[in-house]
Amino acid sequence: MPPRLRNPLLLLASYAVYWLLDARCLWLLVAATAVAYALGLAIERALQSGRERLASALTTLGVTAAVALLVAFKYLDFFAAEAAALLGVLGVKATWTALHLVLPVGLSFYTFKLISYLVEIHRTHLAAERDAVAFAAYVAFFPTILAGPIDRPAAFLPQLRAPWRPCAADLAAGFRMALWGAVMKVCVADLLAPLTDSVWADGGATAAGWAFLLYPVQMYADFSGYSLMAIGAGRALGFKVAANFNRPFLARNVAEYWRRWHMSLTGWITDYVFIPLNLHWRDAGRVGQAAAVTVNLVVIGLWHGANWTYLLFGLYHAALFLPLIRSGAFARRKKFRAARWGLPSRADAGRMALTYLLVAVAFVLFRAPTVGAALGFFAHLATAAAFAPPAVAGFRLLYVGFAVAALAWEYVARDRACPLDFAAHGLLRHRAARWAVYYALLALLYTHASGPAVPAFIYTQF
Amino acid sequence: MPTPDIYSRLTAVFRDVFDDDALTLTPATSAADIDEWDSLSHVQLIVAVEQEFGLRFTSREILRWQNVGEMAEAIAAKLNA
Repeated sequence: MPPRLRNPLLLLASYAVYWLLDARCLWLLVAATAVAYALGLAIERALQSGRERLASALTTLGVTAAVALLVAFKYLDFFAAEAAALLGVLGVKATWTALHLVLPVGLSFYTFKLISYLVEIHRTHLAAERDAVAFAAYVAFFPTILAGPIDRPAAFLPQLRAPWRPCAADLAAGFRMALWGAVMKVCVADLLAPLTDSVWADGGATAAGWAFLLYPVQMYADFSGYSLMAIGAGRALGFKVAANFNRPFLARNVAEYWRRWHMSLTGWITDYVFIPLNLHWRDAGRVGQAAAVTVNLVVIGLWHGANWTYLLFGLYHAALFLPLIRSGAFARRKKFRAARWGLPSRADAGRMALTYLLVAVAFVLFRAPTVGAALGFFAHLATAAAFAPPAVAGFRLLYVGFAVAALAWEYVARDRACPLDFAAHGLLRHRAARWAVYYALLALLYTHASGPAVPAFIYTQF
Repeated sequence: MPTPDIYSRLTAVFRDVFDDDALTLTPATSAADIDEWDSLSHVQLIVAVEQEFGLRFTSREILRWQNVGEMAEAIAAKLNA
């Protein structure tokens, strides 16, 4: 199918999906797309006619407008309420009527696509897209509109210019990815959720240790599961969507963890926040590097929403980077190699366990509704009740076994983007054997999906 | 136009920063071709290049380079200015 037929269909489908998700805010998506489209062309024209200043001004305008949208919907109520409280402390009586703006679906994700589009044109790395339909289809691409991955224009727009040849291999690969993603979501994340939810519901008074240790796995299974389903849906349509996770729990320090976790966001922030800041502060050496890392992680933290807990989340991660920057380990990339029996070496396993625990501490800040609640949770962690067997309705120890088994299989299949890509492992050579596994997993999904009320994906709230 | 001298001095800087004595550069060499060339080592590389040539680039100039050729062009332009 040629692009001129496929792209309008794709755009229509994407807008239809958005309409179903958030009919109120479709106009905002369309308007933001139209403005970015026009700005992209104008920036390119200004650059070509040698008007650098105008190009910079237009880029700044576009980026500021996109950030302002995010701030208005995500942070305005929070900052205004906090400012009013602060003024109150200083004896000035200020009141703020909260606007209670509801965050439009996917706003955090599509504004980041638009910003990278404008910045890449300004950096002369990308030609402005002339085909408005293709551009709009890139921004609204339905498999990823809900919660990413955040595709970059330079990687995605060319795919919209190529003709579409439906192919069985893409369809099968997409199906395998989506199936594994669904297994992670339904048979790992959603089965652990009742435990962490109930522990957090009473602030961690009992079984805090269980929630502490299992929440990172739940979070990972939820978000990486969602991501694989989105990537798989894209693949089935013949598109290569950006990767989001690369076995984050194999990380041997926090820097490596961030190269493996929510990669489409961290890559974006590296390119548009970290590198410019690091360049700007390059004469300050390691101090400059530490400052750039801190800003970077605070931005990642606050991107999730307006709450002191997210700010602390970013600062805590930045603090974990300081020893790595000091020792130079920050910049070293050591490829993971298995030792005996295909397992990590003892030293690597120790570093992975430590990194996991450090990350789990950050997830307490991430999950806690307030800083006070996080501190209360940490206090409960130090009590004997923290590791008592949890008695939670809807939770069984078997579910921890499911999680361990799924992570173990992902470890075995770590060199493949999709853990169900058996052919690439030289496993299950018989088609019937592969399909037996697929059917078994589908049956597992069917029996464990919690009826019509499947819990929402955690990341759709951001 | 970048002279062969610029390329040989650049090669020496790259070999030093990436700790690889076999590294060779062409105008088309980019971060995709050198494993160690990532967001962190990029800044170390820029600092080393600026020191070698006694030049100073703006962030905007640096962020536009997509390969060694564009970097060498910018160095040549500044040296001739």
